[in-house]
Amino acid sequence: MASSSRLAIADTTEAIPAISTADLHKHYGGLEVLKGIDFHANDGEVVAILGASGSGKSTFLRCLNLLELPSAGRLHIFGEEVKLRPGDANLRIADRKQIDRLRTQVAMVFQNFCLWSHMSVLDNLMEAPVHVQRRGRAEVRDEAETVLKRVGLLERANAYPAQLSGGQQQRAAIARALVMKPRVLLFDEPTSALDPELVGEVLKVMRDLAAEGRTMLIVTHEMAFARDVSSRILFLEKGRIEAEGSPQQLFGGGVNERFDQFISRFSQG
Amino acid sequence: MDWPFLLDVFHQLLSGLPLTLQLAALSLSVGFVLAVLVAAAVGSPFPPLRWVARAHVELFRGTPLLVQIFLIYYGLGQITPLRQSFLWPFLREPYWCAILALALNTSAYTAEIIRGAVQAVPAGEVEAARACGMSGFMLRRRIIWPIALRQGLPVYGSEAILMIKATSLASIITLTEVTGIAYKLISSTYRVLEIFVVTGAIYLTLTFLLSSALSLAERRLHAHHKPS
Amino acid sequence: MNLGIIELLGFGSQGWGGPLLKAAGVTLAAASCGFFLGSLLGICGASLKLARAGVLRTIGHFYTTVFRGVPEILVVYLFYFGGSVVLTNAMNSGGFPGFYSLPAFAIGVIAVGVVSGAYQTEAFRSAFLRLDRGQIEAGTACGMSKLLLLRRIIAPQTLRVALPALGNIWQSVLKETSLLSVIGLTELLRQAGTAAGSTRQPLLFYGAAAVMFLIIGRITGLILTRMENHLAKPWRR
Repeated sequence: MASSSRLAIADTTEAIPAISTADLHKHYGGLEVLKGIDFHANDGEVVAILGASGSGKSTFLRCLNLLELPSAGRLHIFGEEVKLRPGDANLRIADRKQIDRLRTQVAMVFQNFCLWSHMSVLDNLMEAPVHVQRRGRAEVRDEAETVLKRVGLLERANAYPAQLSGGQQQRAAIARALVMKPRVLLFDEPTSALDPELVGEVLKVMRDLAAEGRTMLIVTHEMAFARDVSSRILFLEKGRIEAEGSPQQLFGGGVNERFDQFISRFSQG
Repeated sequence: MDWPFLLDVFHQLLSGLPLTLQLAALSLSVGFVLAVLVAAAVGSPFPPLRWVARAHVELFRGTPLLVQIFLIYYGLGQITPLRQSFLWPFLREPYWCAILALALNTSAYTAEIIRGAVQAVPAGEVEAARACGMSGFMLRRRIIWPIALRQGLPVYGSEAILMIKATSLASIITLTEVTGIAYKLISSTYRVLEIFVVTGAIYLTLTFLLSSALSLAERRLHAHHKPS
Repeated sequence: MNLGIIELLGFGSQGWGGPLLKAAGVTLAAASCGFFLGSLLGICGASLKLARAGVLRTIGHFYTTVFRGVPEILVVYLFYFGGSVVLTNAMNSGGFPGFYSLPAFAIGVIAVGVVSGAYQTEAFRSAFLRLDRGQIEAGTACGMSKLLLLRRIIAPQTLRVALPALGNIWQSVLKETSLLSVIGLTELLRQAGTAAGSTRQPLLFYGAAAVMFLIIGRITGLILTRMENHLAKPWRR
């Protein structure tokens, strides 16, 4: 259904990847979590990042937004190289302004929602656009209300996060990311902290976003969702890219033995 | 640095140390006994007893210690029957007035600590004991008090440290404990910083020793939590 | 007893009601200023103790250890005598002979502020450490600068968590101001002492001072609880 339009966008903009990394490394003390990741995501692609816990998939995603600083390697966002300089163990931020600007274009949705607990839902949405992007309040409010309506939370705009269910909180967190008008959306296990009956409402919102042709990188354990919605699968194991390809290829089986093992472990529960 | 002067100050201050320690030890022990009674009264089924106990806690926690000391030292003499009683030879003395005020003060705080510690005993553990047929004194002695002691000890430790510091107020009603001596030295020599440093070091040593002793006791009590 | 209790505590020409009420105002003013100074020092102290540089942490640790471990009255003496020594030396060397001292109110505020600052340091520090890291991370991920994060996320959340502890510190600050009577500040206790001395009614006047301390503590405590409830509103379900 929507996959054809998405592929069309991917084809036209293949020249400049939205995000690319070259030989990205990350270690904590002696533990090497990422062992050289070469990756790129094109505009309009939906990449599902899969892997067992401890494979480095979350760390990789967090490196893309510089929530974790890589130990070595290079990172480009829309062709712009993120300025990093050598540090003790990890690279250091060389240009804080550049990072803060790029972060508004690469929005993050967290496993634990991380809505600011002292603000209402609407204030959560307006916070970064007004104070970081310095957009006009009225415009941001309109935009925020449109986005809230879209995720089905307009009537809870004045509620505080503690008054919402987990599914509602995560939808609000996705809305918060969207109001910044980011060019890439990063999802770090967005449904892992939810009760099973609340997973569906969040996945539905994400499905809609994917159908719009948004660039999304999703770390997830929802195998069916990854298979149906993503345009590409990235399978990490022990800090390396073990397999990469379209969901049809990989889920068809026989491409990569470890991926097949991983999937079979999942389907057994 | 004028070492001979510092050493001289130190020696003079040390002569007040026994009095400081006496005030702290006596008022803490009398205060603890009082606190147990007050805590029991707060939890008693007899309303007037509860009211008196609550008023006691409220009064001594809600007013400054120095006001309490003055009330006792200057105020009690106004009560004629008291002046004629056998207690008067004691209550005339600043020493006993200080101990009485300090003990009453700490008893109010300690009663609250005891109450909080007993309330923090997990209901499930009490139920388990009742299910085994324990009740009354045995339930308290075997289950509630030992658990409450472990909960309350750290808080009581900081109360004891506050009391060591509070004994310094006895100097205001003429007792020459450590702070009283420090005051005399400061006002006669005006070498403020040096005397402050030496006096402060003495109090810090006392509180350090006390908190070390308490954490040792805590570690012993919590030995069962250690992975074997 | 020539005068009844009503006359003694009343507002007539023989009554001590007026002076006592004024002294209560001084107590409240000294406590408020001292607490506010303590808040500033507490924020600085907490920043020091949370700093990355070991030297700064040591300074912060030294501050809280000393001023929480030493009797308050000794700190009052330190600033009272120390302040006049410094001021007199400065004036004498500037060509003004004689003996000078700072006003008791200023000394009192500084002494109370420095002590409560040490306690407030701990309150702010532990509140900050109890913050959910995710709240800060979400801000970082939106591109917030450190200052913006501090102002919009960290400060309001830390204050909420620290408020109950700050309320307790306020109550001790209020009571601590009674120590300033020994350096000549006419606050509640000193005024009560003056009245007690001239009427020979110590029980009555120290009792009145105690009641006034209780009332001030109660009222300010209620206000603080209100504030706490107001700030806690977002967290109620």
